Amino acid sequence: MNNKNPILSVNDLEVCFTLRGKSLTAIRKVSLDLYDGETLAIVGESGSGKSVLTKCFVGMTDKNGSITNGSIMYDGIDLAQLKTEKEWRNVRGKKISMVMQDPMTSLNPLKKVGVQIQEAIELNQGLHGAEAKAETIRMLRAVGIPDAEARYSQYPHEFSGGMRQRVVIAIAVACRPQILICDEPTTALDVTIQAQILDLIRNLQKELKMTIIYITHDLGVVANVADRVAVMYAGQIVEVGHVDEVFYNPQHPYSMALLGALPQLGVKGEKLPTIDGTPPNLFNEIKGDAFAPRNKKALKIDFYKEPPFFKVSDTHWAKTWYLDPRAPKHEDSTSIKTLNEVMEKNAKAAHMVHPHESPDREALIQVKDLQVSFGAGKKKFVAVDHVTFDIYRGETFALVGESGSGKTTIGRGILRINPITAGEVYYKGQKINGKISKELDKEVVQGCQMIFQDPMASLNERAKVDYIVSEGLYNFHLYKDEADRQQKVEKALLEVGLLPEFATRFPHEFSGGQRQRIGIARALIMQPEFIVADEPISALDVSIRAQVLNLLNDLKAERGLTYLFVAHDLSVVRFISDRIAVIHKGRIVELAEAEELFRHPLHPYTKALLSAVPIPDPAQEKNKKLFIYDPSVHDYSVDKPVWAEICHDHFVYGNERELDLYREELI
Amino acid sequence: MSKSKDTVEKTEVLDETANMSDEELFSFVEYHHDDAERTGYSNYSYWKSVFKNFLKKKTAVVMLCVFLCLFVFSFVATAIGNYDYDKLIPDNEHSFESPNSEYWFGTDNLGRDYWCQVWYASQTSIKLAAIVALGECVLGIIIGCIWGYTRKIDALFTELYNIMTNVPNIIYMTLIALMIGQSFLIMAISMTAFGWMPMARQVRNLVMMYRDREYNLASRCLGTKQSRILVKNILPFLVSVIILRMALSIPRTISLESTLSYLGLGLDVNTPSLGILLRNSRAFFLDFPYILIFPAAIVSIITVTFYLVGNAFADACDPKNHV
Repeated sequence: MNNKNPILSVNDLEVCFTLRGKSLTAIRKVSLDLYDGETLAIVGESGSGKSVLTKCFVGMTDKNGSITNGSIMYDGIDLAQLKTEKEWRNVRGKKISMVMQDPMTSLNPLKKVGVQIQEAIELNQGLHGAEAKAETIRMLRAVGIPDAEARYSQYPHEFSGGMRQRVVIAIAVACRPQILICDEPTTALDVTIQAQILDLIRNLQKELKMTIIYITHDLGVVANVADRVAVMYAGQIVEVGHVDEVFYNPQHPYSMALLGALPQLGVKGEKLPTIDGTPPNLFNEIKGDAFAPRNKKALKIDFYKEPPFFKVSDTHWAKTWYLDPRAPKHEDSTSIKTLNEVMEKNAKAAHMVHPHESPDREALIQVKDLQVSFGAGKKKFVAVDHVTFDIYRGETFALVGESGSGKTTIGRGILRINPITAGEVYYKGQKINGKISKELDKEVVQGCQMIFQDPMASLNERAKVDYIVSEGLYNFHLYKDEADRQQKVEKALLEVGLLPEFATRFPHEFSGGQRQRIGIARALIMQPEFIVADEPISALDVSIRAQVLNLLNDLKAERGLTYLFVAHDLSVVRFISDRIAVIHKGRIVELAEAEELFRHPLHPYTKALLSAVPIPDPAQEKNKKLFIYDPSVHDYSVDKPVWAEICHDHFVYGNERELDLYREELI
Repeated sequence: MSKSKDTVEKTEVLDETANMSDEELFSFVEYHHDDAERTGYSNYSYWKSVFKNFLKKKTAVVMLCVFLCLFVFSFVATAIGNYDYDKLIPDNEHSFESPNSEYWFGTDNLGRDYWCQVWYASQTSIKLAAIVALGECVLGIIIGCIWGYTRKIDALFTELYNIMTNVPNIIYMTLIALMIGQSFLIMAISMTAFGWMPMARQVRNLVMMYRDREYNLASRCLGTKQSRILVKNILPFLVSVIILRMALSIPRTISLESTLSYLGLGLDVNTPSLGILLRNSRAFFLDFPYILIFPAAIVSIITVTFYLVGNAFADACDPKNHV
């Protein structure tokens, strides 16, 4: 960072795509410098152009796109002028290489892992035969793959997601590139694996003296890895600076809003600040500041003239009229500075009365000894293993775990979409699994609804919003006449913050956040009492998450809803939930009130999960210690584990010896 | 930072801002929630987009027009010709007359007017193809949906399908022709009875693909009946595939009919179809090419048309190509 010589310098870059005869400007006059040895994080929502920008550096722009203006100076040559594959091959892989998002698709499934790495080494380092193989095994070790010799001759399907990503990284760094571009390398991975991969990238950077460009939408990851941050919006960089400068003193309204809307900063019982609407359509000509229509405190000039870059400090620049000397004063919105404050407030909120603490609590949903297994015999896979819990009326019960832990299966099992193998589910004291009467079935369908993870997949693309929202009404004929139905749809749409006129449109016209709210409206129209929210925000852009969380909280307050909130991200769950259950490999290992769980995690898996969650605060994130969970610490051979209440309303799974240790820890 | 960012760009002042003071320009604007919520798209209608996209494919549109003219003309032509098909009598004196003002398409080996035979045959073939396509479509969709949606019967149906399709169609057709007889109706029924299977299999594959999508889970959560899920949530996604199959089934039926008739297993000799004409022409076409050319040209036009139109329409039906 002390080095002031840029090794890669982008000037006024413009990239256009043509799509069915229409032209789209994906990158609009971007200038950016990359300094030797630094880690630059590029942050932005999907569609902001962050991937397109970096793909230009390795000549991998999609076929229908082209650089229409500007230059990318690297090592004395202008990468924007390179045309042929032959020219690119001297740069791509050798000097600048890239790690892609999904490790499941970026390896060749038919080739041995070692061979794939060796290929890159032979091509770019000129080593051959035994030499190349030795180097490959050294690389495998360097990226933290144990037992490298044996792993060399295995195929990708024998590797887990995290291990595959390590292999992809090994291929990318095999030829000692000067610049490594990481395009959301951990988005497809679990949090605990993500933390390990971030560590690996950091260590490799030190060892190989690489410069890293890190693309992500996760501000927690940015805080973890970045030296400098560039915030992108609608194909432009709107703010760039040191990570501390951007996080603690954001200047552009978009950066401010983005940081302010983080669920991690939410105070329980209060609304999160939101960013309404959606990013602009890049097919249209954008006038003025692209963010202006969504900016709650936009200046008039934002709608007419594009702001230039203003200097905040030598390293910190922002593209906003707020910094013009003529601009009026405005208050700073919530920024990350207040993270500690929030923690304190939340600690106080811990004394808030949660529904499960009230003396006349009513168990709305009871799950007893639930088991779900797939297959039979040797192939039998137990997805959910003896799970027991109650959800009380009016509470938000969070179920947190990594992918494959069985959390979604539990949610779907309760709603009877997935069959369960054994155990019982009760709704208002009535057993609802197995064969039930028609009346009870109707009551359960109306009373229990679900919100789905992926708003792109959970709406019928060929039906109008009107039909989608009123589907439940049709099924049980819950309306008097056509006018009544339309009125109900209108009311439901208004309730989730959408306009009634949207009813006549098709889902593809809406953004992810809007679609998710259509999904919520569809569930609400049944007047449910219990809702399973299956990762309702994990597929949404950061700027939209706050909106959906607020909506869920408002609905809970207005209608007295009860939620089962399934999530993989503990930090989000803290803001929204009353109680949290941590699930690992189909078994709930710890269950406690949310603040209690964060303050006194007992089970080693909970601790590992908590330490792995990226916190969007550079100071905290850079100094945190990673705790890795190793299931072999449990010795259950003699002393069988039990599900025990260790102190009031705090349950842990462990054997007697462990429980004693946990009890000591609490004192 | 590079120098270019340092210098504040003096972009030309736009008209709207020309008469605004700095104070006004730098004032806060009232925020409208609704405006932020509105997105860029406007009225969209599925079928309107389908037709708009279809009309863009010029060759397909032209070919469709040609086919429609041909179809209509086949009825007009039999009316305006000099002879009626029913009243044709063999006349050895006029056999193999090249096309002339009396016999517009010439005459065949028995001296009968070829014009009225060709157009009458076209009518028969098109009618047969349309009936078979429709029948295949209805049967294929219904059975395919049940097959794809009900897990329990899948294995059984798959086995049945394998057994049925492993025997060449031509054997069934031969058996039917020999055992039951040869007529338009028998032909239509037997072709439908064996033609629905590929359609059903394709529908089944697609239904299975869409069955467990999240939006169908959502519908099940809402208590939607299976039949409604099939009709409202799944079938609309199959439209383009179904239309393509239907369109391609028409030339397939015509060529299968021609093959069978050529082998003498098709329609009876008294119901002329394009296949029968082609069959009859085989002995003479080296000396009198026009006997082959007229029916062959019509078969080719129909085949090419439905191939192009079917593809174009299927593309137009795919919403990925809309907007």
